[in-house]
Amino acid sequence: MKPRRKSILSMLDNAVRWTGMPARVADQMSDAPSVDRKNQPRRWSPIWPIAFACILFVLSFIWPSVLLTSLGAVIAGMGASIHVNGPLGKPSLEDDEREAALRKDSLLFCLGLLAALNGLGQPILLIMSQWQNWQTGHGAMVVISALILNATLLGTLPTLYASWSFRRLPKE
Amino acid sequence: MSLHNRISVFRAERGISRRQLADAVGVNNQTIGYLERGDYKPSLELALKIARYFGVAVEMLFSLERFEPIAMTLQRTGEDK
Repeated sequence: MKPRRKSILSMLDNAVRWTGMPARVADQMSDAPSVDRKNQPRRWSPIWPIAFACILFVLSFIWPSVLLTSLGAVIAGMGASIHVNGPLGKPSLEDDEREAALRKDSLLFCLGLLAALNGLGQPILLIMSQWQNWQTGHGAMVVISALILNATLLGTLPTLYASWSFRRLPKE
Repeated sequence: MSLHNRISVFRAERGISRRQLADAVGVNNQTIGYLERGDYKPSLELALKIARYFGVAVEMLFSLERFEPIAMTLQRTGEDK
């Protein structure tokens, strides 16, 4: 007997099941979830988007292109997704006093560092644009890369700070 | 200045899990873990809530000086009797 061909919908169902997400959601929605995977410290993953955004920023000086800028948007998105899954990813209304203090410290650290970097970087960029006679297009690409770097840092630095602030707790 | 606490001792003595205590005082169970380990100093409100939950004075749970070992306390109590 010839096996029946699967419909597109059942194939899509199988594809979703294959990702493991339905089982994970069912586990998290149950009364006794096995592991709280969400909002766990992300100690290493935020370093990748920061590194990529820095490389992209430096590359934009010598090779300004729309392709690089598009890649930058993907990197910033990666940073945002790490933030959502990190320790500060849950809504701030659900924070207890320790988490609220951690969120405040992380944001202060991030904003302080960003202010210092931007304060230092802007005059340097201005001097470089005059010194190397950048055309408007070149300058615009550098500015967009700087914006992407800022967005990536804003998305990942608080997560990085919060993840390293507390040592992991042993299981009870 | 470090703040010492005996939350884990009281919790173990009464057979209460971190989650139970956390739910009772309205914090995340990880916060109880960090409190017990001394990584986080609680607000006065949280310290009072925890003391009220155990039904003891706040000084019984938190101290600026190191708590003496329970064995020594028991020995001293025995000698007094």
